[in-house]
Amino acid sequence: MMNRADPRAWGINQKLAFLAIALGALALIGSPSPGGAVTINTQELADIVESEVDHVTVEELADWVVQDRADYRLLDVRDPESYARYHIPTAESVELRDLHGYPLYHNEKIVIYSDGGIHSAQAWFLLRAEGFAGAYILLGGLDAWKDAILFPELPADATPDEVASFESRRAVSELFGGKPRTGGGGTANPAEIPLPKVKPPAAVAAPRARKKHHKEGC
Amino acid sequence: MIAPFYKYGLFGDEVSLILAAVIGVGFGFFLERAGFGSSRKLAAQFYFTDMAVFKVMFSAIVTAMLGLFYLSWAGLVDISMVYVSPTYLLPQLIGGLVLGLGFIVGGYCPGTSVVGISTGRLDAVAFGGGVFSGIFVYGELYPWLADFVKSTSMGRVTLDSWLGVDVGMVVFAVVIMAVLGFWGATTVERKLARREAEA
Amino acid sequence: MNPYLAGMGLGLVLLLAFVLMGRGLGASGAFSTIVAVIVDAVAPAHAQANEFYLGYLENGYGSPFKSFLMFEVIGVLVGGFISGALAGRVKRTVERGPRMSAKGRIGLAILGGTMMGFGAKLAGGCTSGQGLSGGAVLGLGSWTFMIMVFVGGYAGAYFLRREWR
Repeated sequence: MMNRADPRAWGINQKLAFLAIALGALALIGSPSPGGAVTINTQELADIVESEVDHVTVEELADWVVQDRADYRLLDVRDPESYARYHIPTAESVELRDLHGYPLYHNEKIVIYSDGGIHSAQAWFLLRAEGFAGAYILLGGLDAWKDAILFPELPADATPDEVASFESRRAVSELFGGKPRTGGGGTANPAEIPLPKVKPPAAVAAPRARKKHHKEGC
Repeated sequence: MIAPFYKYGLFGDEVSLILAAVIGVGFGFFLERAGFGSSRKLAAQFYFTDMAVFKVMFSAIVTAMLGLFYLSWAGLVDISMVYVSPTYLLPQLIGGLVLGLGFIVGGYCPGTSVVGISTGRLDAVAFGGGVFSGIFVYGELYPWLADFVKSTSMGRVTLDSWLGVDVGMVVFAVVIMAVLGFWGATTVERKLARREAEA
Repeated sequence: MNPYLAGMGLGLVLLLAFVLMGRGLGASGAFSTIVAVIVDAVAPAHAQANEFYLGYLENGYGSPFKSFLMFEVIGVLVGGFISGALAGRVKRTVERGPRMSAKGRIGLAILGGTMMGFGAKLAGGCTSGQGLSGGAVLGLGSWTFMIMVFVGGYAGAYFLRREWR
């Protein structure tokens, strides 16, 4: 079809074929990533850490849980005992050493949390290095979750705006079995408030997370 | 904002369903434009008289592949978030063969039968009924088939990672194969048309 | 329409699905959803005990019908009709070769559809989901599948020439 003896030798088909071949040839030069082996671009990772785009805030996560969203996986990288005592709804328990080989897809959005941020940061690095581009850290970890979601505090000298936003946070807190604190510094330290009880841990978390998975194939 | 937009949370589930319908309208429109509402046109592929199935399918694959490649190259699409159906080598080999035989016996595939139904083809309606029964048979046999269907699992493997080459190399190879295939298909069509005209 | 231009149109729709949704097109999944819902309505315990049906029953945003593929296939019905109506190709007819009876053709269509439904589920998708969408993202299994579809079609063609030629 390219070289047939025809007065209209460069018809639409020939032009399209030429365009496709040209774009295909250009692809040879502009390959974005080498296939097969994993390469770690440490500069790129450092930049991501610096710019904090790899974070999900506890408020965002709470929204996702409330909306029953199914497009993320939530990994709890603390030890199983802590997980059994309390975990964020929909979380799956994975220890850091089991992370390699844990069934995750490269196209999933993966949110990792630990108590603070150190273990989750290590897990994040591990996943990124293995090419999981959709890995995110829960900013502030479980500590931030307790402070902002489970036990939000209304300062004594709150402005009307703050009071208004506190009302919606109170509803979210109660939804997750938490306890909002009002009246300023008088109330207890979050660490001393009992955490909401978790129903049979293994039964709640794992099957639920799987069940919510939407089919992407036929 | 980086694509895929849905997976980056640009819009929610309800909007995604509306978009699904819009995408479907486009899909159905171009399938019908290609002539794929007709089983005779589809079956002609396997008698070398009209190779439109091959031509349409591979120009679509080349278009989408080049589009994805350059969008991800420009950093506009996070390719790792795009779904690649996992490889189960043996089930896909056997399934493809059964499906190919069903194609020539029935004259449609599930997508084109929907277009055939919407343009009044009664054989497409019968074919669609057959698809339901085939899936039902599969569902009933599933407890016995499950082990086979999950066998030879290789996960999310793409041709470039499997061959251990740059994705650009595979993109180039696919384009060249497609264009050579188009040229070959057109040549065969012409030869057969000439022979039929002489006969 | 020029097959390459129609193919480009299809490719751009597919690309749109990738960019917007991060997933490709499909068709057989919608058929499976309907089968699973019917089985569940007739024999709920039976359907709930079957992992295959359960996968489709638990899919969707609150209801199996509120899924991407169901809405997409409804769109295909509409889009196909629009294009067919514009071109004057909407016609109640049974497509068949000159030597084939309409009854025989309907029987073969049902048989072919059954094989197609079974094969598509075995392979995890049909020509749209596995072939077109998986092909464009260069899936190894999808390309294996696609080659076998053409092998199967050409292998059967000789025996079915009375149906089409």
